[in-house]
Amino acid sequence: MLEAEDLRLSLPDYSRKPLFGPPPLVDILKGVDVSVMPGEALGIVGESGSGKTTLGRTLVRLYKPTGGRIRLGGRDITDLDEPALRPLRPRFQMIFQDPQSSLNPRRTIREIVAQPLHVYGMITDRAAARRRVDELLERVSLTAAHADRYPHELSGGQRQRVGIARAIALEPTLVVADEIVSGLDVSSQAQILALLRELRADMGLALIFISHDLSVIRTVCDRVMVMLDGQAVESGSCAQIFAEPKHAYTRRLLDAIPLPDVDPDWLRTASIVETGEDLRMNIKGSIALVTGANRGIGEAFVAELLERGVAKIYTAARDPSSLTASEKVVPVKLDVTIPGEVEAAAKQCGDVTLLINNAGCNFNAPLFAEDAMANARTEIEVNYLGTLSMIRAFAPVLEANGGGCIVNMLSIIGRVNLPALGSYSASKAAEYSMTQGVRAQLAGQGTLVVGVMPGTVDTRMTPGGETKPPEVATAALDAVEAGQEDVYPGGMAQGVSQGLAADAKAVEKEFAAYLPE
Amino acid sequence: MSAILDIRDLHLDIVASRRRNHILRGVSLDVRPGEVHGLVGESGAGKTMVGKVVLGIAPPTAQVTGGSVRFDGGEITHMPDRARRSLMGAGLALIPQDPMTSLNPARRIGDQITDVLRLHLGMGAGEAGERALALLRDVHIRNAGRVVRQYPHELSGGMRQRVLIAIAFACRPKLIVADEPTTALDVTVQRQVLRLIKEMQENAGTAILFVTHDLGVVAKICDRVTVLQAGRVLEHGPARRVIEEPEHPYTRALMKATPRYDRPGDLLEPVPPALVDELNAAAAAYDRERAGA
Repeated sequence: MLEAEDLRLSLPDYSRKPLFGPPPLVDILKGVDVSVMPGEALGIVGESGSGKTTLGRTLVRLYKPTGGRIRLGGRDITDLDEPALRPLRPRFQMIFQDPQSSLNPRRTIREIVAQPLHVYGMITDRAAARRRVDELLERVSLTAAHADRYPHELSGGQRQRVGIARAIALEPTLVVADEIVSGLDVSSQAQILALLRELRADMGLALIFISHDLSVIRTVCDRVMVMLDGQAVESGSCAQIFAEPKHAYTRRLLDAIPLPDVDPDWLRTASIVETGEDLRMNIKGSIALVTGANRGIGEAFVAELLERGVAKIYTAARDPSSLTASEKVVPVKLDVTIPGEVEAAAKQCGDVTLLINNAGCNFNAPLFAEDAMANARTEIEVNYLGTLSMIRAFAPVLEANGGGCIVNMLSIIGRVNLPALGSYSASKAAEYSMTQGVRAQLAGQGTLVVGVMPGTVDTRMTPGGETKPPEVATAALDAVEAGQEDVYPGGMAQGVSQGLAADAKAVEKEFAAYLPE
Repeated sequence: MSAILDIRDLHLDIVASRRRNHILRGVSLDVRPGEVHGLVGESGAGKTMVGKVVLGIAPPTAQVTGGSVRFDGGEITHMPDRARRSLMGAGLALIPQDPMTSLNPARRIGDQITDVLRLHLGMGAGEAGERALALLRDVHIRNAGRVVRQYPHELSGGMRQRVLIAIAFACRPKLIVADEPTTALDVTVQRQVLRLIKEMQENAGTAILFVTHDLGVVAKICDRVTVLQAGRVLEHGPARRVIEEPEHPYTRALMKATPRYDRPGDLLEPVPPALVDELNAAAAAYDRERAGA
């Protein structure tokens, strides 16, 4: 009767459209086979987003599939255009989910039901149309009294009957019913289901019944197909699938239905899935690359990584002679501002799963000093452009190695601007924004992007800072293992970040006190 | 044990353009501390309206024409709005039906949780922020630190419903009105959310008035249940008794009209029209009697 093979459909996903260029395609149907025999009822079940509604609409050629074939009564209708489909349409009809929106609110029930008769020229004479509509309404247990009302004057169950009357008006051989009882009370639902069963028996109708509710499917269908993520994970006779579901997802769907039996275990045994993507990473056994590894926080990172059982560390610095190699430590010559060196490093370190962008500089020098311009340029070059170029080079490496993690050493000053440290603040602010952008872009490949924003740290740049380098390294690596995206090591940084969330203006005022004299 | 919520003989009409529709016709029910009390009925039974009266959010066209609603020992039926608001949060809270429209689309998740904590518990920003993170972790949201900064449209329906549950439990209220809290969710998500509500409810010792049309959900989560039809209580009792041995013909009919995948042999029996007519006639007779009295 109806046969579809390897049905595929991809649609543009405007929610992920880049600023320029076309939106990416998203696969809604990923190769689905469907077959319905004359007079048979096939149930299609799935949760939201499974593609069941799209499948139903593609089968009646409301959508044109991007792959596969659809045959209706032996005829290939996959590529037919609308004029060619038109003479076939009376044979396959659709009943829509929401009768409120699929019935024209400005037409009476009589006009709505008569419309297909007129459109397809089945009836030209008014009296005959009248009789036929009365007959159809009676068939769905509505009375002639309903005929002159408007859709909003009927109850949900009655409206759905109108949808059914309209669908059977042309005496189709196949009807696709999409979630037609989902908004109804159980009592109207039971009536509509009984009506469908009768119509099938009387008219020899083949039915494709799309629903999220397996209990409902069981009462109307002979066979059932379970959809998940654009594919049919299981299909077979109802008797077989309900008794012995083979696929774990079918089992889960069945178990999730709350049958009206008192059963305290049903809730107790439900597992609550932790939601939110799980990007936690195990540092033990991973392969890390640390830039600026020869001093300060970089050195602390190397020590802490070894402590946590990392398999290998590439320690990178402009001057590799300041680095010591060991069994697990491989020094790499790398200046993040030189594109050639960054590219070479990405080739050499093709097995990295954890990239720690620690290299940074801060001249902390007066704005009107002689070398202020050069200093500012270097800060932007190293802190922002250097980090960006490292990420651009290593993103494919991380993807190839299963996602991995990027840690960017930022600064709380990237979030609260210190005027006397303008170029440093700006470089860190740019890096902060970039971190958020990179995080969004790389979420798809499963890469965790951690931003570390300490306050002052006791290093050569800011001697006597309140936080010690090992504390920063520990906090950052804890975040990697917890799958946490932003960390603020040190009391000051934590205070500022909380303050920013509550009252950004007040923080800036407060922060003015930290300005160097 | 004295009831946390005690509704006695509640009558309510909707008055619109000189027409008066009787919505509640003498509803009585009580919710005990720490119990989940199901209020079940089909659409138009008035179950949502009962919840709205309890929360003080009934529409302006609704008039309470008789009876009383006592919460935690005090009469709240005709309480002025300002006094009513002071009950919200730590006293009463709501888990709404629709996770898509019940959050403010223009505000971050974190702010929507801290608002409640700051308003009702007078917490400072820092403390409220920390508590919001803890609440999100309580409802099993990982990466709470990221979620607080997200907007509702960035979350799935199930996640949003978890956020709403976190908000409802934020101030550890004595009573939560849950109005069809899982109706809009997929079944696998529904099961998790029901479990989550039960877990939070047991930990906080909160009582819940659980409004639903689904007898299956009642059977799984409710301790006691009240069956409502056309604004009248037809039956009430322990959930097990009502589900397993329903006394009222209407409850029995509802059970028979509920499809179940494990009983393929049973054909669904729609609620007999004669029974519906009988119940409607009884409601009309009740109205006449009350008008005469």
